[in-house]
Amino acid sequence: MDEKESERANLVPGDAADEPAFSEDGVDLTLIRWMLSPTPTERLEALQDVIWSIVRLRGEDTEN
Amino acid sequence: MKTPKTDFVEILRTLARHGVDFIVVGGVAAAMQGATIVTFDLDLVHSRTPQNVERLLKALEALEARYRTPGAENLKPSRSLLESEGRQLLTTRAGHLDLPGVIGSNRGYDELLPLSLEQEVAGTKVRVLGLEAVIETKQEAGGEKDRAMLPILRRTLEEKKRREK
Repeated sequence: MDEKESERANLVPGDAADEPAFSEDGVDLTLIRWMLSPTPTERLEALQDVIWSIVRLRGEDTEN
Repeated sequence: MKTPKTDFVEILRTLARHGVDFIVVGGVAAAMQGATIVTFDLDLVHSRTPQNVERLLKALEALEARYRTPGAENLKPSRSLLESEGRQLLTTRAGHLDLPGVIGSNRGYDELLPLSLEQEVAGTKVRVLGLEAVIETKQEAGGEKDRAMLPILRRTLEEKKRREK
């Protein structure tokens, strides 16, 4: 396999057979691995940050 | 509609400070165990004993809880409703809070307690429904929204188990 064929076959950079980037049903495993690293408190804070970012994008944020 | 700034940690700490017996369930329970799920409300199943409901009422007062269902926006949660199996959809000064009396196939606090684990959140110990039980209750609920979450929950559980080996 030449370099171009290899690049086409491996569509996700860094995707390895033992640690694929996606599951067969299309779930992004890189995000799951990332979320498994922090503590429960940090995970909760990450969730709150995401929620707040979406609320701000929708323009529904309060003044406080 | 203005949305209160979400601070689930503050809700959990307030409930713990008032000695409320509860279990974090649903999407937040899954997220606390590593699932990449975004949910806008905190789901808790509380013990529906009169003593616990009394403590819960005080905590909800401190959180300025009101119903968020149309036509009931200014109503405070009541003792009789919190003692029922019904789902209370509330909003508080720290975000949206849902109190389903039961989840999945009518599982209440006593049935879920052995399936929960203790996690520390910002110095407060809270009971969180284990990821396997979150998956089971989502399967039992069978709604489209619940089913949509299942692939992420299952892959998270697999990844967790892989790491624990």
